[in-house]
Amino acid sequence: MPVYVDISRCIGCRSCEVACKRVHDGKGHVNVHFAGDHASVPIFCHHCEEATCTMACFTGALSKDGERTAFSVDKCTGCGLCRLACPFGVVWTDKLAHKCDLCAGRETPTCILTCPANALSTDFELASKRARARAAMAAAQGGRR
Amino acid sequence: MPKVLVPTVCPYCASGCGFYIAVEKDRATGIEYMPEHPASDGALCSKGNAALEVLYHEDRLRYPLKRKGDGWARISWDEALDLVARGLGGALKEYGPKRVGFLASSKCTNEEDYLIEKMARCLGSPNVDNCARLCHAPSVVGLNRTLGAAGMTNPIPDLANSKCVFIIGSNLAENHPVLSRWIHRAKDAGAVVIVADPRLTHTAWMADIFLQIKPGTDVALLNGMAHVIIKEGLIDNDFISRWTRGYEDLVQAVKDYTPEKVSEITGVSAGDIVRAARAYAISPASAIVYSMGITQHTTGTDNVQAIANLSLISGHIGRPGTGVMPLRGQNNVQGACDVGALAEFYPGYRKADDPETAKFFSKEWGTNLLPVGKGLTATEMIDAAASGQIKAMYIVGEDPANSDSRSNYTREALENLDFLVVQDIFMTATAQLADVVLPASVWAEKEGTFTSTERRVQWSHKAIDPPGEAMSDLQIVCNVARRLGLDFNYSGAAEVLSEINRLVPQYGGITRERLNGSGLIWPCPNVEHPGTPILHSQGFKLKDNRATIVPVQYRPPAEDASWEYPFILTTGRLAVHHNAGSMTRRSPSLIEREPDLFVEINTADAAKLRIADGDEVVITTPRGETTALARLTDRVKRGVAFMPFHFPGTNILTSEARDEEAKIPEFKVSACKISRRD
Repeated sequence: MPVYVDISRCIGCRSCEVACKRVHDGKGHVNVHFAGDHASVPIFCHHCEEATCTMACFTGALSKDGERTAFSVDKCTGCGLCRLACPFGVVWTDKLAHKCDLCAGRETPTCILTCPANALSTDFELASKRARARAAMAAAQGGRR
Repeated sequence: MPKVLVPTVCPYCASGCGFYIAVEKDRATGIEYMPEHPASDGALCSKGNAALEVLYHEDRLRYPLKRKGDGWARISWDEALDLVARGLGGALKEYGPKRVGFLASSKCTNEEDYLIEKMARCLGSPNVDNCARLCHAPSVVGLNRTLGAAGMTNPIPDLANSKCVFIIGSNLAENHPVLSRWIHRAKDAGAVVIVADPRLTHTAWMADIFLQIKPGTDVALLNGMAHVIIKEGLIDNDFISRWTRGYEDLVQAVKDYTPEKVSEITGVSAGDIVRAARAYAISPASAIVYSMGITQHTTGTDNVQAIANLSLISGHIGRPGTGVMPLRGQNNVQGACDVGALAEFYPGYRKADDPETAKFFSKEWGTNLLPVGKGLTATEMIDAAASGQIKAMYIVGEDPANSDSRSNYTREALENLDFLVVQDIFMTATAQLADVVLPASVWAEKEGTFTSTERRVQWSHKAIDPPGEAMSDLQIVCNVARRLGLDFNYSGAAEVLSEINRLVPQYGGITRERLNGSGLIWPCPNVEHPGTPILHSQGFKLKDNRATIVPVQYRPPAEDASWEYPFILTTGRLAVHHNAGSMTRRSPSLIEREPDLFVEINTADAAKLRIADGDEVVITTPRGETTALARLTDRVKRGVAFMPFHFPGTNILTSEARDEEAKIPEFKVSACKISRRD
């Protein structure tokens, strides 16, 4: 159940960054990246199916738990291999590793709830559903204006 | 002790988002979202998420202070109130009430602003105003004249029903982020989004049609669109004949605004002007959203009237999905105006220059001292302080030394006062100039109502106690008023609200008992009334129920680029900061994201000036100079520079030229020069 981004909706307001940091005691796991002057996208753990961080972690602190890439702080040695292994730069180590935990203990990840533009969701299909809806409406109205 | 969730209203912008403050052992420990809130729908922007960070900030004022040499001395409340009574009372007695000024706060509750305004007028001073003067004064003047009511005509969620959203002079994606969720919803249902702005803002990312206009040419653009709509017969004839007057004058007035001519003035292609005009006029329901980019001009009132004209000739008002939507900047700037903290209006927008108004309130307030006539506006008070006409001021929760244009002059003016008392939560630049500083409360430390931009009046509950000896603004104002001999014995916000219910017709039915849920939208004249989310559905509160079309002509801004000052500087806000920044610059998770003042310069301009990204540059206008970091971007066109106004440097530069009617300074256009600091 990773969090998916509808890039056409991201407004670069950085609410997800601040909210993530707020609920994780000052250590945020989201970075909003700006692509020039034209778009922004929050970058955080993809919870990869074949997660390289779990392969690099020799203590098993990082492991796959269903769709989630879980992290158990007790087993972490702070070696930093996961940080090197992550192709997206979304695992950090300051003494110990930290990364998106999909807000363990909460029903819905905080970034999804706080996003003012509804750009984040756990529904993989949502962005394409919306794009199809827009295209259909445009066609029904006689093309894009 | 268990965790308690206290419902509250966000203290930053005027979207009026609700959230819960988690309180444990009398301390605010966290935020929970409020999915049932009608406007925010459970969302919260970065500022909202960081709102609690200012509560326990070490800079909070905890005790009353008085100036002692170059520093400050802690004093008791008793001594502070004595000093204030002596300072203000002395000036009142010696120079007369017309030479004392009061600034109410658009961060305070309706009840507090009502009391500040009542105190000023009961003491005989007409000079009471609030910082709406610096944001939406032209909307108050322009919309009252054309539509008969100043405020957003439709509620925020109604944007989702729109089929065309025209956003002009508003960067709502950064400044009112939750609105973007409703606009995106409209887009998914097929709406066209048009954005007009001198910058390619985050809001412009949503646009189907983006009009990158030259700063200060809004009237030309709007008249050009009206020209196209009239010429192509896209007007709503039934609506015009049934509900408006003055249409023929507009036809004459916009005759010469051909797309080609407007294209020359605005720098937008003629084709885009025609496309935007058609999209706006032919959609079944179109809304216009605007903000400071429209109002902060010498032509602010004209801009607002041109917007109203466009919506009237297309008949896009009074129905779901339509409307004229001025977005307010501060959480209670709408309410501060509603309850009369304006130089030209008593509570409920009763005209201050009407003798009947003074008669009515004399009876209600039991005094015969009430002044008749308009007082000095916030900006005029600063001029009067500089010239020595105003001798003493009481400033509540405002920071004119940072937020007024040409702030060096404002500072000198405030220093020129015989006596200045500032009531705030932090030692702001204005408080630094005061004789006495009174420690006040933030929103979470008091209760009362806030009116959001969609006219929604919401009750905000008290979550925690103020720090140290700080008190709620309501208590402080009552104490000061009593020392000055007024009979201000209010037990709390609820009692003041019941007085507002009696005196402000729009708030007649918005009683404490009815405000437990998500609030009520004024006008709500009686306790059975459900509130009025959509204004003007049954005509306009003007003569014959008709709206007035007031034609306006394009006038260039007061300043233009010249040989000496080749750039046009425009200002605006960022997602992670708010207004003068006294709160957001003290929020660690916000300031770390935008720590420095910067200036956006077009890449090609920067190359000519040999400026690289991140260089320290000096920006100079006739008012002064400031240093900022260069940010090279193609967001602004060549010849235009942009600076956020959350840092003290920016308003040193801005222009003193004002709108004749609304007295708002032209923050958005100042000619400047930029050079690298070597």
